[in-house]
Amino acid sequence: MIATLHQPGLQTTIQDAGRRGGRHLGLPQSGAADRVSLALANAVLGNPWDAPALECTMTGPALEFEMDIDFAIAGAEMDARLNDEPVGGYRRIGAKPGDRLALGAAKAGARAYIAFAGGVAGCAFFNSVSTYIPAGLGGLHGQALRAGDVLRSRNTDTMAPVDIPDALHPNFGHDWILRATPGPDAEYFNPKTIEDFFSTPFHADRRGDRMGLRLIGAKMPCEDTPPMKSSAMFPGTVQCPPDGAPILLGPDAQTIGGYRRIAQVIDADLPLIDPARRSDLVPAHQRANRKTDKFAAAKADCLIYFRFQPSLTVAQFQPSLKRVGWPPSPHRTTRRAGRLTPHPSRSE
Amino acid sequence: MNTPTIKPFGERGFIAQLGGFSSDVDSGLFANAVARALRDKNGVDDAVAGIDTIAMRFDPAQLDAEQAHAMLLDAASNTPRNTRSVAAKVIDIPVCYGGEYGPDFDALCTQLKLTPEALVKLHSGAPYRVITIGFAPGFAYLGELPEGLSVPRLETPRLHVAAGSVGVAGRYTGVYSLPSPGGWRIIGRTPRALFDGREHHPFIFEPGDEVRFRAVTPSAFAAITRAQP
Repeated sequence: MIATLHQPGLQTTIQDAGRRGGRHLGLPQSGAADRVSLALANAVLGNPWDAPALECTMTGPALEFEMDIDFAIAGAEMDARLNDEPVGGYRRIGAKPGDRLALGAAKAGARAYIAFAGGVAGCAFFNSVSTYIPAGLGGLHGQALRAGDVLRSRNTDTMAPVDIPDALHPNFGHDWILRATPGPDAEYFNPKTIEDFFSTPFHADRRGDRMGLRLIGAKMPCEDTPPMKSSAMFPGTVQCPPDGAPILLGPDAQTIGGYRRIAQVIDADLPLIDPARRSDLVPAHQRANRKTDKFAAAKADCLIYFRFQPSLTVAQFQPSLKRVGWPPSPHRTTRRAGRLTPHPSRSE
Repeated sequence: MNTPTIKPFGERGFIAQLGGFSSDVDSGLFANAVARALRDKNGVDDAVAGIDTIAMRFDPAQLDAEQAHAMLLDAASNTPRNTRSVAAKVIDIPVCYGGEYGPDFDALCTQLKLTPEALVKLHSGAPYRVITIGFAPGFAYLGELPEGLSVPRLETPRLHVAAGSVGVAGRYTGVYSLPSPGGWRIIGRTPRALFDGREHHPFIFEPGDEVRFRAVTPSAFAAITRAQP
């Protein structure tokens, strides 16, 4: 038994990398909304980057430890305290039975991740314990955690812990640029509308959830077209309902839907969506953009490396980092990428 | 026009728009056959059939964009187009229409100027095919609905639709295998468990299946519910 939850926080769920390959069954991907922070919290503990952890939303939980265990926090700044003493993120902290950990309201960012050495146990379905609340899948009981819930260890083997350089800590303080490609239905929008979309600052409606965020800033009316028949959607798809207010789909995105898709946020920038909830965001045309938050995007790209390219060497990985223009020196690329790699042996 | 139009969908995806099919059942079953073929290939992360589209996302570590494009075009060109005739299982779905199980049933009768009996007969009279699965986990799009039953979606979707709910929207009827938010008009609910958690096939519906609805009473609903584990 890792810990007992005394207060659940606004919406605390168990998340890992999510369900893959189930979209044809209608299964959303789910998983951590900010995979970078999930990976960083796990990395400092030596967990696999995608080990299940707690995802805390806007206001964090309060819990009491029941065993000696290391934990780590990453993501939104939620004024974490262990026995009323402030504790920092991105480092390994040892807890003893009886220790109380409490997270407050997010001062910056939207979601924080609490990882425990060995990961948190949950109900596995389709190779993931990620909680998908609408259908009650994953997690402890398919729902957000409640007071009294008991967290148990997944007992995942850990590797050598990784030190996270300060420079890799996310900075949630500024505006965000999300890079996107024009969506498959871009042709149904007036070219001027597409141009507006890629240049207008939007902010996210506060009612957003893991399924999607409504973007407020400018209307994106769709040309009068024949009604669209239901077609695929993915996390990062920006769809435009008839009222013209675009919806940016999140990790719990439905698998198919009937609204025109004006844009698709690139994979590397998906982890930025949630932190961006608290500030303005500007979709940027992928090809046109060279002045994005390269640093954050590069960190996200490391995740893609974890997830999609586990067998590649760092040398092969470099082009994808170069694509996002980070960092200026190839030497640094090698070192950073190597340090974030879950299997140190592969990272010469 | 039998050659699909293929467009990029994000930096690691493509979508094929199908044309030349005489019905949504035909295009949907073809899209699913293509998607199934693609899912067997290395480097394909997802292949999702819509009603008349196939979206594919690939792993850039295994495929480059040209290869992925060619793979989609090849699958869409070489899959037999007459997929409707492919044998599929027949699924019997008992439905308790109206009342607490079908909150939109009465309004639909009024709107369509049908008696409750006529609505039930119209909806349960015809066999349907599962056109595709999606939107929500295990949600089955069934088609096509008789002309007289076609209605738009709800203006404001419900935040919670119970598992087993049977809805109508446009030319389709659909079944929610698990609880979900949803905008379809709910006319009844099946007591039959639609989710059995099998590892790769956790839902009873599969594209191409033939579905027959059968009206049951509330007491039969309760009895079927009790008889299931």
